[in-house]
Amino acid sequence: MAEQAYTVASDSETTGEERSSSTVPEIAIGIDIGTSQCSVAVWSGSQVELLRNTRNQKLMKSYVTFKDEVPAGGVSNQLAHEYEMLSGAAIFNMKRLIGRVDTDPVVHASKSLPFLVQTLDIGVRPFIAALVKNMWRSTTPEEVLAIFLVELRVMAEMQLKRPIRNVVLTIPVSFSRFQLTRIERACAMAGLHVLRLMPEPTAVALLYAQQQQQNVHENMGSGSEKIALIFNMGAGFCDTAITATAGGVSQIRSLAGSTLGGEDILQNTMRHLIPNMDSYFSRHGINEIEKMGLLRVATQDAIHKLSTQPSVEIDVDLGNGRKIYKVLNRKEFEEVNQNVFEKCASLINQCLSDAKIEVADVNDVILVGGCSNIPMIRNMVTGICKKDVYSGMNPLEAAVRGAALEGAVASGVNDPFGSLDLLTIQTTPLSIGIRADGNNLVPVIPKNTTMPARKDVFFTTVHDNQAEALIIVYEGDEEAVEKNHLLGYFKIMGIPPASKGVPEINVCMDIDASNSLRVFAGVIMPGEQNPSAPFMEIRMPTVDDGHGWCAEALNRTYGSTLDLVTVQKKVQH
Amino acid sequence: MASTSFFLSNQTIRSTILPPCNATFRRPLSISATCATSQRTCSSNISTEYAPKQGSLYEVLGIQMGASCQEIKTAYRRLARCLHPDVASNSGDEFMRVHAAYATLSDPEKRATYDMELFHRRRPTVMSARGYSRRSRNWESDQCW
Repeated sequence: MAEQAYTVASDSETTGEERSSSTVPEIAIGIDIGTSQCSVAVWSGSQVELLRNTRNQKLMKSYVTFKDEVPAGGVSNQLAHEYEMLSGAAIFNMKRLIGRVDTDPVVHASKSLPFLVQTLDIGVRPFIAALVKNMWRSTTPEEVLAIFLVELRVMAEMQLKRPIRNVVLTIPVSFSRFQLTRIERACAMAGLHVLRLMPEPTAVALLYAQQQQQNVHENMGSGSEKIALIFNMGAGFCDTAITATAGGVSQIRSLAGSTLGGEDILQNTMRHLIPNMDSYFSRHGINEIEKMGLLRVATQDAIHKLSTQPSVEIDVDLGNGRKIYKVLNRKEFEEVNQNVFEKCASLINQCLSDAKIEVADVNDVILVGGCSNIPMIRNMVTGICKKDVYSGMNPLEAAVRGAALEGAVASGVNDPFGSLDLLTIQTTPLSIGIRADGNNLVPVIPKNTTMPARKDVFFTTVHDNQAEALIIVYEGDEEAVEKNHLLGYFKIMGIPPASKGVPEINVCMDIDASNSLRVFAGVIMPGEQNPSAPFMEIRMPTVDDGHGWCAEALNRTYGSTLDLVTVQKKVQH
Repeated sequence: MASTSFFLSNQTIRSTILPPCNATFRRPLSISATCATSQRTCSSNISTEYAPKQGSLYEVLGIQMGASCQEIKTAYRRLARCLHPDVASNSGDEFMRVHAAYATLSDPEKRATYDMELFHRRRPTVMSARGYSRRSRNWESDQCW
């Protein structure tokens, strides 16, 4: 509920500001906040340019250190050594933690990071803290992200010599709408206004569309359609998309994503080196943090080297007579991470089948993200697609370049050469539905539905004379509701007395042009034209931070007394 | 919410900031050599294509009933470039109608079913009286082509 107040405030603020605006039109910048690295790009008037920090870096490490009184992020701060980032004073991987509750497996996997991630496993936000002068000082992923974004904004403002307000951010495909609100909040805290949040592979797809447009000087629409498969794997997430491109229009056909990334590969490999790693480091004392940092740096280094050499020597002294010495070869490394590679392959296959595209129909295979250097990833992708990788893109810059293009397009910038005559037709990355038919998620707007979208499904009561019905809205693609992201809940009241199965309960979901979701619900009795009581309209998500226990509490309080079952599906145009 | 303010800002830009000569430069009517032709078609077609709100799916896309798969895709993209809310500052309802038409006609199975339905609709005499009156509105608009 707090979120809505924030949304309203930001809307009215924007309107007021823009009415009185008298400056030149602002071109939104594109930001790719990676789990491990971050970059900023902007349309310069003729092309996309990446901005550099004062140390001439285009890719900056995503972390904020709380070592001194004033927190410093990876944009401005110079690390004396990588171990400094692993001393406990720095928070990183915030993209993996944002908007997650303490029962989430991704949060649990973060407990082996040097800073403190404490969980009570009840469905509230985890306690996250940085080590400052031997004390754990608490913070939140939103706060860390906001501090980092402020540094990025200052950097961009210095270089572009103008105030920056509007941004296009790339986000992982698997992010829920609740997580998007957290990203928007972090941006608002940093004084930034989000024009668009683009799933990373769709930003890459837009860049691809522009490249195709420049290559083929044909009439719009009559140019042949090209199908591209995009596989993007970074430190925190793995995303796949199929896009059909022609005439500068990138039509997203399917999306698939998971929280699988380089961090998992790193942790699997660390666990391979120290099988009892979790218990070994669980005390989280200063000594353990230091040792864990040593192991982390050595393992990361080894993984990087294995991309170019067949084997690598790992030699770490963990103190107290404990030394790790191992020669790790590529085959062993691949076996250790078998599960990761298999999951990646299944994402690609799922994406192809969702898009109803045969491998033979794919024109280009685009491989981007930090993990695209890993030979096994490359072999897996080319093996499935039976095609070499598209060579026209820098794997570490593709997403931010796409975001900058979208920033220019969304800011209404025109290019006389038609380089910005681009359009992305987005689809929903996850299904959105309600709990019905027992404990199942019944999608109202299925995954990969073209946006904007409006769909409705009819439900009915499960008890005779049931006067109320509970509508619990979830996002995700797992059958059992509790495995999906909860977005909100409300009650339909005043259902006229009738036998079970008679009242028609209409649940309609609408995703508008600005990607905001509204849920409409109400009851109509058979043979009647008008609803029995006023329809409800709720903007989602309505849940707040500690929402993990809400569904459980609802279940405990109401059981199945306010349940619904599906009647029929029909699409409303 | 994000894009709404974008459109607002766009309007502000058009009306106050850019010199008048640039007023026509706003998307989707941008003047670029490669797409001038199709965009002209696009803007002139909107009024006629969207007059019959209950028209057939072929009418929605502005194509003939026997259109090829390629023609359907081309028509869809052309309309998307005019009607998608990212370019047209509208609610998205028109684009949703276009997309729904495209979704049906680009799927061979759904298209066959739809064509069959359309065929029966055009022969109202074989329908029962009740069915005829219920569907008469669609039938009338189908006469357009």
